[in-house]
Amino acid sequence: MPTRSPDSPLLPEPAFALPGPRGPLPLLALAGLGVLVLAGTSLLIGVSRVSWDALLAPAEHPRALQVLVISRVPRTLALVLAGMSLGVAGLIMQMLARNRFVEPFTAGTAESASLGLLVVTLLAPGIPILARTAVAAGFSMAGTALFLLILRRIPLRSALVVPVVGLVLGAIFDAATTFFAYRFSLLQSLMAWTTGDFSSVLRGRYELLWGAFVLTVLAYVVADRFTVAGMGEAFTTNLGLSHPRIVALGLAIVAMVTAVVVATVGMIPFIGLVVPNVVSLIVGDNARRAIPWVAVLGAGFVLLCDVVGRVVRQPYEIPVGTVAGVVGSLVFLHLLFRRDSRVG
Amino acid sequence: MSTSPRRFPLLIAALLGVVVLGLAFLGLRPSRAPTVEAAAPAASAPGAGRTITHAQGSTVVAPHPKQVLVFDLAALDTLDALGVEVRGVAGEYFPGPLAKYADAKKYPRFGTLFEPDYEAVHAARPDLIITGGRTSARYAKLAAMAPTIDQTTDDAHYLDTVVGNTERLATVFGKEDQARALIGGLRQSIEALKGTTSTRGKGLIVLTSGGRMSAYGPGSRFGVLHESFGIPPAAPSLKASLHGEAIGSEFILETNPDWLFVIDRDAAIGEGGGAQRLLDNELVRQTTAWKQGQVVYLDPADTYLIGGGIQSVRRLLEQISDAYAKPRQPPAP
Repeated sequence: MPTRSPDSPLLPEPAFALPGPRGPLPLLALAGLGVLVLAGTSLLIGVSRVSWDALLAPAEHPRALQVLVISRVPRTLALVLAGMSLGVAGLIMQMLARNRFVEPFTAGTAESASLGLLVVTLLAPGIPILARTAVAAGFSMAGTALFLLILRRIPLRSALVVPVVGLVLGAIFDAATTFFAYRFSLLQSLMAWTTGDFSSVLRGRYELLWGAFVLTVLAYVVADRFTVAGMGEAFTTNLGLSHPRIVALGLAIVAMVTAVVVATVGMIPFIGLVVPNVVSLIVGDNARRAIPWVAVLGAGFVLLCDVVGRVVRQPYEIPVGTVAGVVGSLVFLHLLFRRDSRVG
Repeated sequence: MSTSPRRFPLLIAALLGVVVLGLAFLGLRPSRAPTVEAAAPAASAPGAGRTITHAQGSTVVAPHPKQVLVFDLAALDTLDALGVEVRGVAGEYFPGPLAKYADAKKYPRFGTLFEPDYEAVHAARPDLIITGGRTSARYAKLAAMAPTIDQTTDDAHYLDTVVGNTERLATVFGKEDQARALIGGLRQSIEALKGTTSTRGKGLIVLTSGGRMSAYGPGSRFGVLHESFGIPPAAPSLKASLHGEAIGSEFILETNPDWLFVIDRDAAIGEGGGAQRLLDNELVRQTTAWKQGQVVYLDPADTYLIGGGIQSVRRLLEQISDAYAKPRQPPAP
């Protein structure tokens, strides 16, 4: 069976063999602390006045506690869950596609999920959110599978071809979505529900994101397989593992995570791209080592973007998707200029 | 680089699936074919026109134009009230009160509101084209083909422009008497409404779309509720912006309006509206508006799509008057 040579130029140094330290743990603890601080900030920011004083005297400020429980805690949890799972989804995609520029939003995954949501909206507008998400997950799985199939069929000369293929595919899905949204006068609704935005998150309206969290844990459990799959198909087969099965598992995780996030809060670009790249600078390419880092930094990234979006124009909001686009692109450009010798 | 033959069927199946899906979608909607019959020559007597000033300048219009193309739902609504027949319309969706214009045989389509079908327009040789709102950006191109007047409403002087637009159309079509009656009736109802609204608490206007909310204040496209109907704004700091300000439920809780006016954008374009589902949450339920049953779901077609037509403003007014006329519910325990 003809395959790519395992040491394709796409992958930088094979980090698998690194005997080095288990990653700077104190640093991870510090990052975790930073995320906690951000989460605390997120709990206290909003239109209603919720302060520690008010919370400590619930008799005088009954509303503060109520707002905290109904609105702030769910929103903060949703931010953390979405950030963690999108970051890890990006990491898995990068390993499966063996390319550092891939993430659910550059590989047609999110776009096909969005197409799925549009189809559901048009054909069965009233169905429950779980069914909506299931359809979106089916679409994003098909879209991502198509992406990986195309990758197998084209000669890869440069690392840049992979994301270009993903962007082209994503643009095609996007064009289809836009076309039908236009024909059915849904363009503005489409824009509203695809822009990542946590403003409608309340108790009872985000819990689906826990499903994404479960998938992230699952990804951690089987992390070693993704590390191996990242070495290439021949390498994986030599170790006695089924490459297609690992790819299918990773695909399922990525597609479901993306669909859940897009269906509940919309698209948040760049997390899956920037966070795994930053992490790989710190701890290398071993998935088991990288996943805790990606989860912590992903959560921090989304928290930060949402806090900024809520503060800048108080009491109104800037959607987190917009802020993440700006912040993420800046970080990404910085990474590109810094490590241009490593990504190619 | 080649692929193992095993994968081939999979790829083909995937592609086939995409194609089938596409075809299924195309089948969902009858193909639109704006058939334009052979154009009758324009029947305007040259030199007999009168100058009409409008939102984008002034235009010489022949008296009693017959071949009229309308690219604005508000203008269509007003023309309907004045009893003026039109030659053609634009758009895909004609909400409730304008349903009769959906008959493409009687009223051929000349493109959409955002993208006029210029060739069809040219071939039809209209005596008059009416643009407004969504088509106003295409004014120059249409004006190059035939006399065109623009009926865009100015959000800052909403009611004045609605009246002005009605009077303009009345002048063009010689329907001054009808217009005077319509405007007089509207003004009277507004005065009557103002008397009640000013003492019944503050209102907040919220538009919902795709699961998100945005708030609108005085001077915005829905500001007529505050400025002309006399409803005191619950959030006076809201600046006028076309697409409102993105808000969450906490904003509504803190603003605590006595009246909540909801425009369900998704319902305006014929999708099952989720506004009620979105607003019915633990935070909004605590507001005075919700507790007293003073949440008014404004007719989305009249507010969002037709907004600015003389009849749509009247219907909006009636809807709000009805809401204020209802006996107050005792506050829920």
